[in-house]
Amino acid sequence: MPPPATSNLGYTPPDGGWGWVVVFSAFISIGFSYAFPKSLTVFFKEIQEYFSVSYSEIAWVSSVMLATMYAAGPISSVLVNRYGSRPVVMVGGFLVGLGMVSASFGTSIIHLYLCVGVIGGFGLAFNLQPALTIIGTYFHAKRPLANGLAMTGSPVLLFTLAPLNQFLFDSFGWRGSFLILGGITLNCCVAGSLMRPVKKTVESKPKEYALELNGPEEAVPVVSTESQSCVERFIDISLFKHRGFLIYLVGNIVLFFGFFAPIVFLALYAKHQGIDEYSAALLLSIFALSDMFVRPTTGFLGNTKWIRPRIQYFFAFAVSYNGVCHLLCPLLPGYTGLVVYAVFVGLGFGMLSALLFETLMDLVGAKRFSTAVGLCTIIECGPVLLGPPVSGALVDAFGDYKYMYYTCGAFMLAPGIFFFIMHYLNYKQLDEEKHKAAVEMRTAEDTVHLNIGQKDKSDDEIEK
Amino acid sequence: MSVSCLHFSSQLLLLLSFHRHVNTISENTTSITEPRVETPAPKTPPLAPLIPTQTAQRNVLLTGENHTEEIEVVNPVVLNLECIWPGNGKRLPNITGYWTKDGQTIETSYSNIQLENDLYRLIREFTIMNEDDLGNYSCLFGPKAKVKFIVAAPHLGEVRDKPIVSYVGDSVVMVCKMDEKKPQPISWNWYIQNGTNKVQIESDSNAHKYKITKDGNKTKLLVYNLTESDSGVYYCGAVYAVAISMGYMQLRVITYYEPLKPFMGILAEVVILVAVILLYEKIGSRKHGESAGTEENKDETNNLSHRDNDVAVAHSSTRQRKV
Repeated sequence: MPPPATSNLGYTPPDGGWGWVVVFSAFISIGFSYAFPKSLTVFFKEIQEYFSVSYSEIAWVSSVMLATMYAAGPISSVLVNRYGSRPVVMVGGFLVGLGMVSASFGTSIIHLYLCVGVIGGFGLAFNLQPALTIIGTYFHAKRPLANGLAMTGSPVLLFTLAPLNQFLFDSFGWRGSFLILGGITLNCCVAGSLMRPVKKTVESKPKEYALELNGPEEAVPVVSTESQSCVERFIDISLFKHRGFLIYLVGNIVLFFGFFAPIVFLALYAKHQGIDEYSAALLLSIFALSDMFVRPTTGFLGNTKWIRPRIQYFFAFAVSYNGVCHLLCPLLPGYTGLVVYAVFVGLGFGMLSALLFETLMDLVGAKRFSTAVGLCTIIECGPVLLGPPVSGALVDAFGDYKYMYYTCGAFMLAPGIFFFIMHYLNYKQLDEEKHKAAVEMRTAEDTVHLNIGQKDKSDDEIEK
Repeated sequence: MSVSCLHFSSQLLLLLSFHRHVNTISENTTSITEPRVETPAPKTPPLAPLIPTQTAQRNVLLTGENHTEEIEVVNPVVLNLECIWPGNGKRLPNITGYWTKDGQTIETSYSNIQLENDLYRLIREFTIMNEDDLGNYSCLFGPKAKVKFIVAAPHLGEVRDKPIVSYVGDSVVMVCKMDEKKPQPISWNWYIQNGTNKVQIESDSNAHKYKITKDGNKTKLLVYNLTESDSGVYYCGAVYAVAISMGYMQLRVITYYEPLKPFMGILAEVVILVAVILLYEKIGSRKHGESAGTEENKDETNNLSHRDNDVAVAHSSTRQRKV
C-alpha cells in the first residue's frame, strides 16, 4: 500500500472488514441523494397537466429538492458531529419517505414543493453528509478507493430509478408512484442501520509514551471535542483560515457553474441538431454507463502509490479535462461526434465526482471533514442552482448551443489551471512545514531522553 | 352502422356550416349528441353536394416496383393523381392500368395505356368530400408496378399508448395535441366508448363531471369525481372540414389499495431488515464485550486514565528495577 498522508484521527482506521459494508451503505445513501431528484422528471409531464402549471413551475420541485439538500449541509454536519452518522442517516431516510408519502396526497403544487422539495431535500441532506463522513472514519489507506466505490452509487441508482419510475408511473399513475417511492427511499434507513460507529482502537507507540511522560497537557495529540468552545463545535470558522480548504472552495464555486449544464442540455442539443428523441436519450445512457465504470477505476487509481501523495493534481487534471471536453463539443460533427463526446464527458464527470470529496478529506483531514463538507455544500448551492438556468439563458440569447458549451468549458478549465498552480504552491508549503515539524520533534525527543536520564538519576539519589 | 350514421350527420352539418361561419361549431357541440340526422334549414338545398373550390395535383414517377405517398387532406378537394412508370424494360406498346381504393378495384378505371416517350401514364381525378372518400388509392400498371396514395386527414401526434391511471374520487386530465406544423382543426370533440358506439361527451356545467377546453392545436378533457365505471376508452377527434381525425386513449381508475399493497410490502421489508441488522449487532457486541473488556469504550478520558495506569505501572517497575 502507498504511504498515506499522516492520519490525525488518533486511532487506526480498519481500512477493511466492516468498512466494506459501510461503503455499500454509503453507496445507497449517496446514490439516492444525487439520483433521486433527477429521476423524478419522469412524472413531471402528467403532474404539470394535473395542476395546470407551466413546465418551469413543475421543474422547481427538483430544484427546491436539490437546493434544500445542499443548503441543509451545515445542519447535517452539526448533527453528525454530535450524534454520529447512523442516527442522522436513519432520520434522513425517514424524512424522505415521509415527504414522498405526504406528497402522494398532494392537492396543489405548493404542497409538492414543501413535501418533496423541502422535507425530501432535508432527508437527502441527512443522507449525503453522514455517508461521506463515515467513509473517512473507516478508511485511511484505502480511502480513495472507498470514496470512488461509494460515489458510484449515483449513476447506478439513476440508471435503476429511471426505468423503475417509468414502470411505476405506467402502473400506478403519479400518486401511487410517489407512495411506493416513499417506501423505496425508506431503504436509506436500512443503509443507515449498517453504518456502525467505528471502534476506535488506539495505537500505543513508544513515541507517544515518551511524550506522555511530560505531563497530561501534552499527552494526547488528539484534541477531544469537549474541550472546544461551543461556537467552534457548530461552525468551524478556523476552516476559513485553512489554505487547502480555501483553494478547494474557490475552485469549486467557479467549476460548479459549468458542471451540470452541459449534461442537462445534451439531449436538447442533440434534438436541436435534428437527432430523434430516442437517440438523444441514448446519449444520456451512454454518458451514465461511462460515468459508472470510471468512478471505481478513478478511486483505484487515486489509491496507487504514484498518485495518492499528490492526489490534488489528479483532481486538477480531472477538472481541466472536463473543461477541454466541453470546449471541443461544438466542434464535433453529427451524431457520432456527440456519442464520442458523451463517452469522454462521462469519463470526466465520473473522475471529478469520485475525487470531489476525497480531495477535501485529503486537505482538511477526516476529523474536520464533516464540518468542511457542510460549509462547502451550502456555498456551492448558488452555482449549482444558477448554472443550468444561466446556461439556458445563454442558449436563448444566442439561439445556439455552442456559446453555452464554450462558456462552461472555460468555467471548468480556469479552476483546473488554478488548482494546478495553487496546489503546487500548497504542496511546497506543506512539505516545508513537515520538514520543520520533523526537526522540532527530533529536538523535543532528545530533550525528553535527557530529562528521563536526569529524573532517573535524581530518583536513584533520593532512594539512596 | 350507427357510427357511420353519426359521421354522416356530422359531415352534413360541417358541410352546411362551411357555408355559414366556421366559429359556430364550437358553440353548437351540444347539438351533436345523438346519432340522428339533423334536418337542415329548408332554405339551403339539403343534399346537393358542395362543389369544392380546391384542387390538388400529385404526380409520382415510379422508380422501383412500389411507392407510397401520403396526402394530407383538410378541406374537401378534387385530387388529380398521376402515376408515371418508365416500364420494366420489356417495352410493350400498351398495357392495362387500373385504380383501386382500399384494395377494391374501381371497375370503371380500367384503361389501355400507350407507351409515350418511354413512359406509361395513368391519371385519374378523385373527389374527396368526406370521410368515406378518404383511404388508400393505388394505381396499378398491370401486375407489375404500384403506387399507393394514402389520403387522410392530419394524424394526431404524441398520443399516449399506455393507459392513464387515476384514482377513485380523484380527477384526471386527458390531452390531445395536433402537431404545430399541421393545420389547426376547426374544433375538437371528445367521445367515450359505450359498447361498440362512440358517444360524444358534452361539457355540461351542471353535473360537474366533464370539462372540455379547446385551445387551437390542443384540447383537454377533465373528468372529475372518478369512479371505477369511468375506466375505458376515450377518443378525441380533431374536426376538419373533410373528416374527423381520431386519437384514442385508455383510462384506468383504481383504488388506493393497489399501490398500498406494494408499499406495505416494502415497509415490512425495511422494518425487518433494520431490526435484524441492529439485533445482529447487539448480539455480536455482547459476545465481544464478554471477552475483550474495555475496547468498546470510546471515551477519551477513560483511555487516558488507562494509559496513565500503564505509565504509572511502568514507572514503578523501572524504579524497582533500578533498586
